Amino acid sequence: MDEELDIETLDPRKDVRGAAEVKELLRASGLDAEADIQVFVVARNRRGIVACAGLAEDVVKCVTIAAEYRGSSLALRLMNEIHYLAMMRGQSHLFLYTKPGNATLFEGCGFHKLVEVLGHACLMENTPVGIRDYCDSLNAFRQPGQRIGCVVLNANPFTLGHLYLVRQALRQCDWLHVFVVSEDASAISYADRLDLVRAGLAGTERVTVHGGSRYLISKATFPSYFIKDACVVEACSTAIDLLIFRRYIAPALGITHRFIGSEPFCRLTRKYNEDMFEWLENASEEGQPVHVVEIPRFEVAGCPVSASEVRRLLARGDFVTMASLVPPTTLACLRAKYAFRTQPQADYCATEIIEVK
Amino acid sequence: MEIKKEAICGTLESNDLLVKVAPRNGLEVTISSEVMRQFGARIREVVEETLKQMGVSQGQFVIEDKGALDCAIRARVQAAVLRGCDSEELNWRGL
Repeated sequence: MDEELDIETLDPRKDVRGAAEVKELLRASGLDAEADIQVFVVARNRRGIVACAGLAEDVVKCVTIAAEYRGSSLALRLMNEIHYLAMMRGQSHLFLYTKPGNATLFEGCGFHKLVEVLGHACLMENTPVGIRDYCDSLNAFRQPGQRIGCVVLNANPFTLGHLYLVRQALRQCDWLHVFVVSEDASAISYADRLDLVRAGLAGTERVTVHGGSRYLISKATFPSYFIKDACVVEACSTAIDLLIFRRYIAPALGITHRFIGSEPFCRLTRKYNEDMFEWLENASEEGQPVHVVEIPRFEVAGCPVSASEVRRLLARGDFVTMASLVPPTTLACLRAKYAFRTQPQADYCATEIIEVK
Repeated sequence: MEIKKEAICGTLESNDLLVKVAPRNGLEVTISSEVMRQFGARIREVVEETLKQMGVSQGQFVIEDKGALDCAIRARVQAAVLRGCDSEELNWRGL
């Protein structure tokens, strides 16, 4: 116990032996070593690793301490090291996932609780003013009205389906706040997605388009959304994100209704939609309920319009079919900036020739 | 002095404190301490005094105190400001 411990960093992709040791330590605490962790801070005694904390961009997770070292101040040393390490990597604003029972421990390490899914998980951030400053910045965009709506779009890219959703939502509320997911993990860059939403909604009245944030469908609040082929969706994986929306974002803007398009294709988005009713409307949760309104997908020729279909057409270079699914602004942008990324294929050339005519 | 970038100083270990600074319009000092009830007001005094002496009137200061003495608080705040200002120059006589 009084033995000297070395605190070091460990790159799980380079140090295979160390990674295996960390994995074993995590398993003993009932945790999995998550694949997106870029670096671990570990504490070592002469026999091996006795504690670890993982960092995936701005998210601290997979934190554990071997039973015989608990109750010492080792957690403080680990978290101290994580703060400095993250700072060196350009991340000063950190999020942390833990079990609710450990929240007090991390409060002693400079973390502050954002939301908790009872008995399951708790999301914290390493500043007492992070979410408050964000809400203050949103507050400036408050609009008067009885029914204030909100739509959150990834818009990858912005389609006629999104446009339809916004227009339908506007018919049911006094003002609509449109958020664009800011995580740059999609085929179309965030800057372009935001531009396309702004361009597609230019001239539409009673709408404010907002850039996204770490607090709204990001790798911090909703990690599984960005994991490809997420077949396994944990029971509460959507809850953290939705509870932050309900407790902080909705009150900051006075949002009373959240509008969603029905989801016929993507299982994960469908699950997010279904969970929305529970986490936003259920009276037992903290914060005023937000009504969820599901709007049936916009269809073209009997087929629901989806951004993933548009991306498939982009990969094929089929801008003719695409023109019936997206606004002209989106078509022009994809043509100018994303067409070159596709492999030159036979039908790609054919499409181009037809276009020239 | 003007805080130009985010910076960090100190530790979370006992008898020390962690100071985080960031650019911000206006001055905001947020303090969390294990001895908040007994010494919270005094900690704030020391921090604000130190910032005044250094001519810092704007910035975000987040302090996680673990029962540090006044001299440690002063030193950590000074170092955090210097890092945040990207400066090595300090008027030692004024402090």
